[in-house]
Amino acid sequence: MKRMKRMKDLDLRHIDLKRLDIKCWKNILRNCPYLIVLIITWLFMTVGGILLMLYRDYSGFKPDAFWTQPFFAVIMETEMNDGINSVVQTGNQAQEALALLKESDDRSGWMFAGISGVIYDSTKDYIAKAEAAKEEEINEPAADEVVGQTLFTTYEPHEIDSIYYSDAGKVALTTEYPYVKVEEDYFDDAIFFGDSRTLGISDYSGLNADFYCENGMTIYKLLDEKGVVCQATGERDDLNQVLQQKKYGKIYIMLGMNELGYRDTAYFLEQYAAVLLQLREWQPEAVIYLQANLHVSREKNNIKTEFNNININDKNAAIATLADGKGIFYLDVNPLFTDSEGYLNGDLTFDGVHLFAQGYMTWRDFLMEHAVVVEED
Amino acid sequence: MLFSSIEFLFRFLPVFMLIYLLVPEKYRNFVLLSGSLVFYGVGEPYYVLLLVFSILINYGLGRLILNDKLIEYKLPFLVFTLIVDFGLLFIFKYQNFVVENINKLVSYEAIPVLDLVLPLGISFYTFQTVSYLIDCYRGKIKKAPSLIEFAVYVSMFPQLIAGPIVKFDEVSEKLKKRRISAGGLENGLKRFSIGLGYKVLLANQIGTLWNTIMTAGAGNLSAPVAWLGAFAYSFQIYFDFWGYSLMAKGLGEMLGFRLPKNFDNPYASKSISEFWRRWHITLGRWFKEYLYIPMGGNRKGFVRTSFNLLIVWAFTGLWHGAGWNFLLWGLAFFVIISIEKSGIGKWLEKSKILGHIYVIAVIPITWVIFAITDIGQLGMYLQNMFGIHTGNVMVGNTQLFRYIKEYGVLFILCMIFATPYPMRLYRGYKNRWLVILIVAAVFWFSVYEIMVGSNNPFLYFRF
Repeated sequence: MKRMKRMKDLDLRHIDLKRLDIKCWKNILRNCPYLIVLIITWLFMTVGGILLMLYRDYSGFKPDAFWTQPFFAVIMETEMNDGINSVVQTGNQAQEALALLKESDDRSGWMFAGISGVIYDSTKDYIAKAEAAKEEEINEPAADEVVGQTLFTTYEPHEIDSIYYSDAGKVALTTEYPYVKVEEDYFDDAIFFGDSRTLGISDYSGLNADFYCENGMTIYKLLDEKGVVCQATGERDDLNQVLQQKKYGKIYIMLGMNELGYRDTAYFLEQYAAVLLQLREWQPEAVIYLQANLHVSREKNNIKTEFNNININDKNAAIATLADGKGIFYLDVNPLFTDSEGYLNGDLTFDGVHLFAQGYMTWRDFLMEHAVVVEED
Repeated sequence: MLFSSIEFLFRFLPVFMLIYLLVPEKYRNFVLLSGSLVFYGVGEPYYVLLLVFSILINYGLGRLILNDKLIEYKLPFLVFTLIVDFGLLFIFKYQNFVVENINKLVSYEAIPVLDLVLPLGISFYTFQTVSYLIDCYRGKIKKAPSLIEFAVYVSMFPQLIAGPIVKFDEVSEKLKKRRISAGGLENGLKRFSIGLGYKVLLANQIGTLWNTIMTAGAGNLSAPVAWLGAFAYSFQIYFDFWGYSLMAKGLGEMLGFRLPKNFDNPYASKSISEFWRRWHITLGRWFKEYLYIPMGGNRKGFVRTSFNLLIVWAFTGLWHGAGWNFLLWGLAFFVIISIEKSGIGKWLEKSKILGHIYVIAVIPITWVIFAITDIGQLGMYLQNMFGIHTGNVMVGNTQLFRYIKEYGVLFILCMIFATPYPMRLYRGYKNRWLVILIVAAVFWFSVYEIMVGSNNPFLYFRF
C-alpha cells in the first residue's frame, strides 16, 4: 500500500480558467484522489447507461424525470427491474390470455364475472351492501350446481389525472356463494401468494399453509425464475417448479399494492389474468381465491400520488372481474377493517398500511368462514 | 431537498460546486446564499419566504441592538426579537398541539385548528438567529456583519435543515474570507460520503426492523422483541442524525467552513449526563448558554438548580417535537440526570464496565419514549419491555429468531460503528488508496440504495 504523497495543498482562491495550467491540474489530481475516483466512476456509469439506453429498448427509464434520474440510473435499474421486464408472458400473450378468460364461458370454470355478474346501481355505503349480500348467502339454499356471482356497487367516479389508474366507479363485493365454515386443517393443502400483507397472515394467523410471499412482491415477479421466499424455509423457490411438483387444494392470491405505481390498471389486469391462467393450468382442481388488497388509512391515503384507496379499489375491481364463482372466488376483507368511508381504521394499524398482529386473527376467521369445499367424486 | 436524494447528489451539488469554485472570491457569499435559497425553496416554495423574512427582521433588529446611539433600548429590542422569533416558532410548531389540547380539555372546538405544516429546519435556524441576537446584546458580537454575511450564516444549506446549530462567532471570520483548498474539498467529500453511508446503509436499514416491530403492534411483543426493537431504533436515530451531521460538516469543509462537531461517540458514554455532553452537542450547548446559565445555572442553591434543570429539560424535550411524549422524554432526562448529580454519575463515569452497561440499558428506553408519539401505544411498549402484557404475546420467539437471523449482521455493524474505533482508524489512514476505494464503494452503494428506493416510490415503502 503506497502512501499518497501530499503536495502543497492547492489554494483555490478561485479556479481562473485563464490561468489553469498543467501544474494546477497536477496539483488537483494529487490532492483529490477521492474526487477523481468518484468522477471517473460516474463518467463510466453514465456512458454505460447512455449506451444501454441506445442499444436496447428500455422502458423503465422516464426521460421526463431528469431531475431524479441520472443516466447511470439505467445501469442500477436493470437489476431491480429485471423482474418487472421479464414478465411471465409478453404483452401480447397476456392480452390473449385475458381475451381467452373473457370469451370462453363454455370452458369449464371460466367465466368473466364482469359481464355475467349483476351490476348494482349506485349505493354509497357498500358495507351495508356487503352485509346484505352476506345475509343472502346464508338464506340461499345450496343447489347442485351453484355458480357464485361477483357483484359490484357503483358510484359516481372522480376525475383522475394519472397514468397509473382511474376511478373504477364501482366497488367489488365478495363473490356471493354458499360458503361453509371450516376448521384450520382446511388450509393444510393451501398455498398463499402475496406481498407484505400476506406475510402478516403467515406470521400471525397460525395457519399451517405454504406461504410464498415477501415484501415488495408483485404479480409481475410472482412466477419469475428468481423465485419467491418460502416462509417455512426462508429459501427462494421457483414457483414454476413448486406448482408442478405439489398438488394444492386451495390457492390464495393477494397482490396489487406494489403495482400501484407501475403501468396502468389494464396492464395490471392482463398480467394478473396471465398468471391466473398459468396457475389454473398447473393446478386444474384447486379452488382459487383472489383476495382484495386491503385499503390504507386516511393518513396514508395520498390523492396526489398513486398511493390511495381509489387506485387500490381500481385494482381490486379489476381483479374481481376474473372471479367466475365456480373455481375462482373474490374475497374482500376490507369491510372488516375499514370505516364508513373505506379508510383502514387507524386503531388497527401503526403505519396505515399493515394490520397489527391481532388483525390477522380476524382475517383468518374470515377466511375460515368463506371456504369453498369441493366434493370429490 | 435532502442530502440523501438523487436531486441533491447529482444535480444540485455538482452544479452548485462548479459555480462556487469558478466565481471570483467576492461573489462566493452571493452564490452560497442563492444556492441555499434554491436548496430550501425546491422543497418549501412558500416557507422560503418565511426564512427570508426571518433573516431580514433579525438582521435589522441586530443592527438596532448594536447601535451605540440606541444603547438604552437594547433590552426592549432584544425582547421584541425574541417575541418575534419564538412567536413564529410557536405558531408553526406548537400552536396545533396547544390548540388541540385546549379543545380537548373543554371538549369542544373553542379555538379553530390551523393545521400548519412545519417549515423545514425552523427549529434550527430560529435557535441560530436567537443565539446571534443574544450575543449581540451581550456584546460578544461588536460589529454588525453585512446583510449577506448574516443571511449566509442563517441559511447556508449544509446546516440549514438539521444543524449543527452554529454560533455566529464560530464562522464570522470565514464568512468574510475563506480559503477553499483542494484538500478541504477532498476531505469534505470523503466525510460527506461516510455520513451518507451511515444514513442510508445503517440507519435506513436497521430502521426497517423497528418499523416491522411497530407494525406488528406495540402491545403484542415479548420482552426480548421489545428490547430488540428499542436497540434497533436507538441505532437508527443515531446513525441517521450523526450521518446527517457528518454530511453537514463535510459540505461545510468543501465550502471552506469549519462547522462545529455535533456528536462525539455518545453511545460510548458511561453516564447519561456524559451522554448529553456527547449527543447533539450544539443543542446542549445552546440550552446551557442561553437558558440554563441565564436562569442562574447551579449557583443559586439546590432547589433553584433543580428547577432550572427541570425547565431546561422540559424545553429540550419540546424542542424535538410538539407532543406529550417529547415532554415526557425530556422530563425523564431531568429525573435521571438529577439522580446522577447526587454523585452516582461521577462514580459510574469512573467505573470500567458498569457505566457502559447502565447507559446501554437506559438509553434505549428513553428512545422508545421519543419514538412513540401515541401515549397509549407508548405505555404498552414500555410494559412489554418489562414483560407486562395486557393481551396475548403475538410476536415471540419465532419472530425473534427470524429478526436476529435477518438483522444480526447489521446489528453487529451498527455496534462496531457506534464505537470510536472505526473513525479513529479512518482518520489514521484516510489518504491510503484502500480507504479511498472503500469510501467510494460506500458512496456508490448508498446511491444504489437510494435509487432502488426512489425511482419506484412503492419499493421504498417495501410492502
